[in-house]
Amino acid sequence: MRSPLSLIAALALCLPLVAQAATSVNERHPLGAGGRVEISNIAGKVTVRGWDRNDVALTGSMADGLTLKQDRSSNRVRWEVEYPRGRSNGGATLELRVPRAVDVQLGTVSADIDVADIDVRRLQANSVSGSIIAAGRSGETTLNTVSGGIRSQVQTPRLDARTVSGQLLAGGGASGEVAAESVSGRVNVTAGRIQRLAVETVSGSLDVSATGMAPGGKVTMQTVSGSVALKLPVNVSAQLNVKTFSGGIQSDAGQVEKPRYGPGSSLDARLGSGDGDISINSHSGSVRVSLGR
Amino acid sequence: MSPHDSDDNALSARLRALPAERLPPARVWQGIAAQLPAQTPAPAPAAAVATLSTRRRRERWPLRIGLGLAAALALLMVVPTPVPHTPAPSLLQRQADAMAGEYQQAIAALPSDGVTEEWRPALHELDASAVSIRAAIAENPRSGYLLGQLQRTYALRLQLTQQAVFSAGLPT
Repeated sequence: MRSPLSLIAALALCLPLVAQAATSVNERHPLGAGGRVEISNIAGKVTVRGWDRNDVALTGSMADGLTLKQDRSSNRVRWEVEYPRGRSNGGATLELRVPRAVDVQLGTVSADIDVADIDVRRLQANSVSGSIIAAGRSGETTLNTVSGGIRSQVQTPRLDARTVSGQLLAGGGASGEVAAESVSGRVNVTAGRIQRLAVETVSGSLDVSATGMAPGGKVTMQTVSGSVALKLPVNVSAQLNVKTFSGGIQSDAGQVEKPRYGPGSSLDARLGSGDGDISINSHSGSVRVSLGR
Repeated sequence: MSPHDSDDNALSARLRALPAERLPPARVWQGIAAQLPAQTPAPAPAAAVATLSTRRRRERWPLRIGLGLAAALALLMVVPTPVPHTPAPSLLQRQADAMAGEYQQAIAALPSDGVTEEWRPALHELDASAVSIRAAIAENPRSGYLLGQLQRTYALRLQLTQQAVFSAGLPT
């Protein structure tokens, strides 16, 4: 009687291994500058790293039952992990190697996205609940999530990052044109020299700092109930305009004015020679403008 | 003797001839008392006077209230009643209402049955945000940027609902 029991026990121990049996992924495709690589994966993780070769490589593993669909052409490759209908046993863990100066498009649902050491023409990453961590260099960067957080250290002259409830942290060299938007997530942007900066939330707080503003630059910050903090160098040249309905205003420059009757506060100040425009609108959130080094 | 004197004498005589004042028989009082509703025992004379005056005063109150109501009614009929002051919705509010109606209609047209749980928090978040933006517009109906925020919130809500519906049925 001992041997059947041992057999059952051995089978039971092996079941998880059978369920997690993975399919390895090892794909390559030549891709020069200007080409485009796309990855679509629902669950698991997608890691992207740059290298000095003229081809893209996709390696990793997929849970049992998943298949990799490929669509290739001379300057474009698309890999999509296909999941069986219903509940799957797991996701796919993929690592993508990309050459310089290509377009990278990543789409996931719950899979996290981790991008580093890249030097691409364009990076676009979308996730629903997965987080996005991105670093490297990109000519144009678009990062979107719903509930996942975004942490960008991408050196990029054009950043567009949006979440619904996830936190959004952008620093490390975003400059030029920066757009950061969240509904309820906190937005924290540490930017370089700004040409155009637009930051917006409904209830999430906004914390923005920039090392400078280009001549004629424009900064727009809007929120309904989130608090606003803006830090700029003391030598910035812009016309500062702040308006709130019930939120307080604190500023290192200018004088806060309140109407004789009714709600609202406003502040208009000329910073330096007043080249650019800084506009802050808040309904009930407080506003703090700091001028420092 | 003047003719008037003779008339007076005649009148006096006729007055005297009238029957003297008579008390009704005791049984008449008893009959009246029996027909009256039962009352509390009669108080002492001084208290009875006081009670009577209080009762009269109390009896006058309904009359006074009635007169007051009648006067108020007459005043209301004569003087035009001011309409409660509810400010008309501003252009911005009307735009917000119209926009909300359009987007809600579009969102309602999508099948929401298959939307999985992982999408619901974000959709609720967007709905709550739209409500708070509309409340802010109602408070500050001249704030144009809020309308832009409302539009973007509804657009995102529609977009995410479409994505959620599209992804319904995908593995979790």
